Amino acid sequence: MAALVSIKDLVKTYPTGTRALDGISLDFHKGEFIVLIGLSGSGKSTLLRCINRLVDPTSGTVTFDGMDVTRAKGMELRRIRRRIGMIFQQFNLVKRSSVFTNVLAGRLGYRTTWRTIVGRPSRDDVALAFENLGRVGIVEKAFGRADALSGGQQQRVGIARALMQRPELMLADEPVASLDPATSHSVMKYLEEINKKDGITVVCSLHFLSLARRYGTRVIALNAGKVAFDGKPADIDDRRFREIYGEDAVEVEIGLGQTEPVPAEAGDSVDAPALDPRIPPDR
Amino acid sequence: MAEYFTARGLPVPPELTRNPFSDWRRNATVLVTLAVLIVGFKIVDIDVSRANPEYMWQVLVQLVHFDWSVMTPQNEFETFWDTAGGLMIVTIFLGIMGTAFAAVIAIPLSFLGARNIMAGGPVAQAVYVVVRLVFTVIRSIDVLIVVLIVLTLFGLGNASGVFAIAFHNVGVMGKLYSEAIEGVDAGPAEAMTATGANRFQVVWAAILPQLVNPFISFTIYRLDTNVRLANVVGLVGGGGIGVALFQNIQLLRYSTAGTFILLIVVTVAAMDFISAQIRKRLV
Repeated sequence: MAALVSIKDLVKTYPTGTRALDGISLDFHKGEFIVLIGLSGSGKSTLLRCINRLVDPTSGTVTFDGMDVTRAKGMELRRIRRRIGMIFQQFNLVKRSSVFTNVLAGRLGYRTTWRTIVGRPSRDDVALAFENLGRVGIVEKAFGRADALSGGQQQRVGIARALMQRPELMLADEPVASLDPATSHSVMKYLEEINKKDGITVVCSLHFLSLARRYGTRVIALNAGKVAFDGKPADIDDRRFREIYGEDAVEVEIGLGQTEPVPAEAGDSVDAPALDPRIPPDR
Repeated sequence: MAEYFTARGLPVPPELTRNPFSDWRRNATVLVTLAVLIVGFKIVDIDVSRANPEYMWQVLVQLVHFDWSVMTPQNEFETFWDTAGGLMIVTIFLGIMGTAFAAVIAIPLSFLGARNIMAGGPVAQAVYVVVRLVFTVIRSIDVLIVVLIVLTLFGLGNASGVFAIAFHNVGVMGKLYSEAIEGVDAGPAEAMTATGANRFQVVWAAILPQLVNPFISFTIYRLDTNVRLANVVGLVGGGGIGVALFQNIQLLRYSTAGTFILLIVVTVAAMDFISAQIRKRLV
């Protein structure tokens, strides 16, 4: 099967001299739930942003569905971008605008500049906005200000906005890093749902290995801009963990009934915690 | 405090051993300040030997001995617009029109003077530097000086006052607006770029909604300041109530002048209060 995203020898050096990506080659296949892990500064965010060209790579190529993202310009690039949804750690909503306006902004790539200024949203776009708000469970807050919502709700608005694009790929840059453990699980479950039900490929960077094990079908670890691990979540054992995070690292757990209580909404359909039995959770 | 370090055999931080009274930077600051004040006294040559408190007291008594006749037309040639009330209304509108003209010019320019908007390429950055420099130069010329120059174009009267206020405020408001633009949250712009929106759509949907309230707030703040300025531009021939105030003082009609001053104080205080109330609700 041809890869949905194919990354070859990707290098990104920032003007400050930081080499964020140091020759990355990876293939992402349709339907995968890929979790990126690694220390802060290991290149996770840069890698995600090279896929939709929010960051221009220094060298190497990224292809999406056979199209060369690294060489695309103008309209062609925007056409590619609108097939790729993205959600962010800080949600990146327009705080003063209503939830509804924020969600509709997900359609910008499908509208002309002229329609953006003078046009009212089309009937289809409005219907789609309500449908997506319904999916993430915040229809009743649609006309309130975005910053009146809690963090978890704002991230769900972010997901609804990205779904407006009808994306084939969803990039998630530390989507739960600003949220508490219980809320983290509820947001991750929405990502899991769009991955399983809609068949949207998800590439998500995370800080907590327990979340990576629970939601990922594949885990990729970055270390200093290089791939340090690429495989099944269950294969990250003690030795691998230390390779990724350094000798002194100790794993911490998040949620899933070990230490923090997880509300029924987030925890009840979790059959068995996908934890590696070789790593005791309480170290 | 140094014992903590000596007892543990650690090097004592130099900050602990420094004597504040022998610190040359501290002493130099004190010396320079004293020198400036002493030289200032010599150069300015403050001469209070000819002070005439009795005369001043007489004038002050006349000033508060308000002459209300200026509130009504005094002969068949005068209309409402020649009364103090009429002139006050004209002056308020001098400020409003000056602010409006300035805003129309400063708002588009302010985008060219915002670092985050002009980040793309050396040409854009050069434009940014030039626009900001122009704002600074314009701002540094006081309104009264501008009036004297504009008088050569429009002659005595309201036109000179309005355009002088407008000119000066392009510098002031341009800077305020530019800084508001630089202060916007870049997150939504990134998110909308990721949806496939073009540059203009990003500014329209992600930046402008964040600017509406700060722009209104700054404009009202300047409106309040400009109505105050409009009272003064009349003193040098820029029209409005200031002209009448200046003439009455020249003619030693202090009771009439007192009425004008009272009217100005009440108006400015009211504008100040109203503007503060509106801006408080806009945050």
